Amino acid sequence: MNAQYDPLQHSFCLISGAELWTFGPLSIYLLNQKCPRDQNVIMSTFRFEYRITFAYLIIGALWIIFSDRAIDAFIGDKDLLTNAQTYKGWFYVLITAVLFFLFLKKHLAQLRRTESELEKHRDKLQELVMEKTKDLDQAVKDLYMKNEVINRQNEELRQALKDLQDTQAQLIQSDKMASLGVLTAGVAHEINNPLNYIAGGVAGLRSVMQECNTQNERTDLFLDSINQGIERISSIVSGLNNFSRNTDKYDEACNINEILEHCLVIIDSQLTNSISVARNFSDKPLVIHGNVGQLHQVFINVLLNALQSIENKGTITITTSAENHAAVVKIGDTGSGIEEENMSKITDPFFTTKAPGEGTGLGLSITYNIVKRHKGSISFKSEPNTGTVVTIELPV
Amino acid sequence: MKPNVLCVDDEPVNLILFEANLNKKFNIITAHNAECGLDVLARNKDIRVIFSDMKMPGMNGIDFIANAKNISPQGNFYIMTGFEVTDEIQEAIDNKYISMYFKKPLNYMAISSEIERVLGQINT
Repeated sequence: MNAQYDPLQHSFCLISGAELWTFGPLSIYLLNQKCPRDQNVIMSTFRFEYRITFAYLIIGALWIIFSDRAIDAFIGDKDLLTNAQTYKGWFYVLITAVLFFLFLKKHLAQLRRTESELEKHRDKLQELVMEKTKDLDQAVKDLYMKNEVINRQNEELRQALKDLQDTQAQLIQSDKMASLGVLTAGVAHEINNPLNYIAGGVAGLRSVMQECNTQNERTDLFLDSINQGIERISSIVSGLNNFSRNTDKYDEACNINEILEHCLVIIDSQLTNSISVARNFSDKPLVIHGNVGQLHQVFINVLLNALQSIENKGTITITTSAENHAAVVKIGDTGSGIEEENMSKITDPFFTTKAPGEGTGLGLSITYNIVKRHKGSISFKSEPNTGTVVTIELPV
Repeated sequence: MKPNVLCVDDEPVNLILFEANLNKKFNIITAHNAECGLDVLARNKDIRVIFSDMKMPGMNGIDFIANAKNISPQGNFYIMTGFEVTDEIQEAIDNKYISMYFKKPLNYMAISSEIERVLGQINT
């Protein structure tokens, strides 16, 4: 029995389970205390594993060797020795369990705390992100609204500038027309009086010739020629007078065909032989209510544009008709036409493609405004190098 | 006896021609300004047809007619003008101050028939 019992072997067998388990966690616990948390995680994990294993082995081995030796030295009785060794084993297990429990508790508590902190942190972060997102959304919204306000203000400014330019153009035009009106009225009066002498003289001569029986075909020819001259001069003066007439009334009877004839008389000096004018006037007179002087300006501006667009040879076609309670005037030319990119700008005040000094860029702007004041409409159809057709509709 | 017609104009040639072209049918009395015209009207109460130039020194045609209406309320008044129809003339027509206006150069045939028309109206 004795030979069979080897205390070292025996104690090793007992200890190999319980005792090693006790000192393992203990060593882990101790080692863990020494391992600073703020060290590199991988490094401490690495050390931790090695230290545990190493310490477990050393302490376990030392305990097995020295505790058995100590028991052997103090206890002689073999049964008591066996019991003591068993109790030692149980003691070992108990200590190990307690340490294990403490160790796990501490670690798990730490882990749970960390986890919950992490959770809280994450919630807070999420809240923060949401809050920031909301702030950002609001900021974007504010920015968008500000942008909208700026855009609106920009648009208002643009409109104000356009109105200002319109007003400026109208001021220039009305100033010009006022001076011209005074001038032509004076000239008309001064021409019409001597013209009256001639007309009265011719009428007197004719009656004298009738009385004296000296009237014949030849005297009639001469007298008629003089009368034709008087009529021609009179119509030019009348046309000029109508063109530059300054009234704010929009209820005058305006005979469109007559006004167009006046305008053609006024621009006659600019019509060279190479430009022909085709009149397709309505059979019935077209009479609308409006401002005679201003309508003269409308047609003169459009006619001047038409004849200036024709470089060498060409035709200006004027068509008038009554359509749906409106007088429709179409003035077409075979001139240079309007470039596509300029189409939207031609009625802007001061827009011109003419060289400086040749055009103010006010003609169509004034025309557009006059037509608008007559509650009418003006439209342009043009093809570069082919010609332009301007359509003016004026309600009766 | 030919009916009396008064013509007021500051330009003598116009007066001479008016008289010369219309004296066959009418007895033309001329005045070279508004004041003279009013004098003539005051002295000849039977003048029913009065022509006046528009632009005259001192009183213009419309002012003359306004005064003449007081002297001769039954008169028929006409304006002759070298201008186009002005707002003042249009207003006078609208208010029936004047029957119509004649533009210079004058068409004496038209004037003659208008005088005959209006005198015919008075006599009937």
